[in-house]
Amino acid sequence: MKNSQRNVSSRPKASGSDFEAEKENTQELGREVPVGSADYLAPETLNKALEYRSRYGYKAVVIAGGTDVMVDYFEGLTEVSSWLDLTKIAALKEMKFGPEEIRLGSMVTHLKLATDPRVGENLPLLAEAASEMGSWQIQSRGTLGGNIVTSSPAGDTLAPLLAYQARFVLGSVSGQREVAAEDFFTGPKENVMNQDELLLEVMIPVSRERTLSRWKKVGKRKAVIISSLTMALLLELDEKDVITGARAAYGAVAPTPLRAEEVENYLAGKSLSEVSAERAGELAAREISPITDIRGTVAYRRQVTRDITVEALLDMQQG
Amino acid sequence: MSKVKVAFTLNDQEVSLLVQPEERLLDTIRDRLNLTGTKEGCGVGECGACTVMLDGQAVNSCLVLTAQVYGREVRTVEGLGGEEELDKLQQAFIDHQAVQCGFCTPGMLMSARALLDDTGSPTREEIKTALDGNLCRCTGYKQIVEAVEAAAEAEEVD
Repeated sequence: MKNSQRNVSSRPKASGSDFEAEKENTQELGREVPVGSADYLAPETLNKALEYRSRYGYKAVVIAGGTDVMVDYFEGLTEVSSWLDLTKIAALKEMKFGPEEIRLGSMVTHLKLATDPRVGENLPLLAEAASEMGSWQIQSRGTLGGNIVTSSPAGDTLAPLLAYQARFVLGSVSGQREVAAEDFFTGPKENVMNQDELLLEVMIPVSRERTLSRWKKVGKRKAVIISSLTMALLLELDEKDVITGARAAYGAVAPTPLRAEEVENYLAGKSLSEVSAERAGELAAREISPITDIRGTVAYRRQVTRDITVEALLDMQQG
Repeated sequence: MSKVKVAFTLNDQEVSLLVQPEERLLDTIRDRLNLTGTKEGCGVGECGACTVMLDGQAVNSCLVLTAQVYGREVRTVEGLGGEEELDKLQQAFIDHQAVQCGFCTPGMLMSARALLDDTGSPTREEIKTALDGNLCRCTGYKQIVEAVEAAAEAEEVD
């Protein structure tokens, strides 16, 4: 027995007139999900969720773990006229690790990403980013899909998803479509989703090459912080340590998370040992378009982008 | 707005009630069910004072809609120990003077309890990580981490 289940006697019990008034109805309620009210929709199947999404669109606020939505509506919760809760849909919580691709359900939590050894082995950038997200409490509730759909430029999983060339599967009652991660984000907290769509899965192709990757998150403290900037750097190498593919993705340094193509073009085709880490860092600092805000100035973000890029490449060169 | 019927397990007790769709678990626990051990600090998931266990995991009850816990198991600080027998964590917090004003303590205890239920003998780093989302403005954390270590050791002996 878990320790938290001991000491059953002598605890303060739940009480209160609201509770007592409803107590006698407990039996009638059974265990069914409270579906059916237009104010709170909690479908158990994906089809039902898509149907609700089609019928209510933006009128029903979609909620998963709530770690962004509940903050956005803090002090304004009563303004929400209807909720569409996705937490009962088991199909969205699955992870599949195939030989060609990895499919992660949109409702997979950060805690799952941080602790499942399959994620750590195959997608270390994502596992690391998830393990540094918010706090334990946030990781328990917050979902991969939520981080994507919120589309903050500072979303911690977004640079890793760009580096892994992820594709997002969007569903609606009329079918599904796939959007590449780099085409998905259109501005701060803006993306290409329509009001009748839900994010269903994230598809990540399995790389056949040997890969090296480095994740870096910079913030004012380690826990519960919105990142000042993030970087996910991934190199594919052949047997002679020549870089056959390079992906350098950055977060919180532009209106959307972005890939630094000049950095990637510079790195591709060179032997890892020949690469000038400083040159790559300078290209990265030039390519981003940061703003000054409470989490850092433009000058700071360019300098740190340069520094963490250099540091990551030097680290990779030293093996 | 029409109310939503919600039934869940709270500290091993079956509860059912009607809630507003936008009602937070924190408010249901404190204001409707009169269990005021759980505290509200920031209300936006940054301070951890409202931490409860949901199906064994530490969560911020200010960020959970009560309607979302239908059929699930919630544990608050009142579900740890009673006056006759404290939870080992509660006793360790007292022994190590890990409580000063006490406002953060229920949340600290619930994060620590979720950790010890999950990881029998955590390292100091694991304890610090588990308590990352709980702010204390009095004690300085050292005593809190030591208390959790002591409780973990005491439970191993059992």
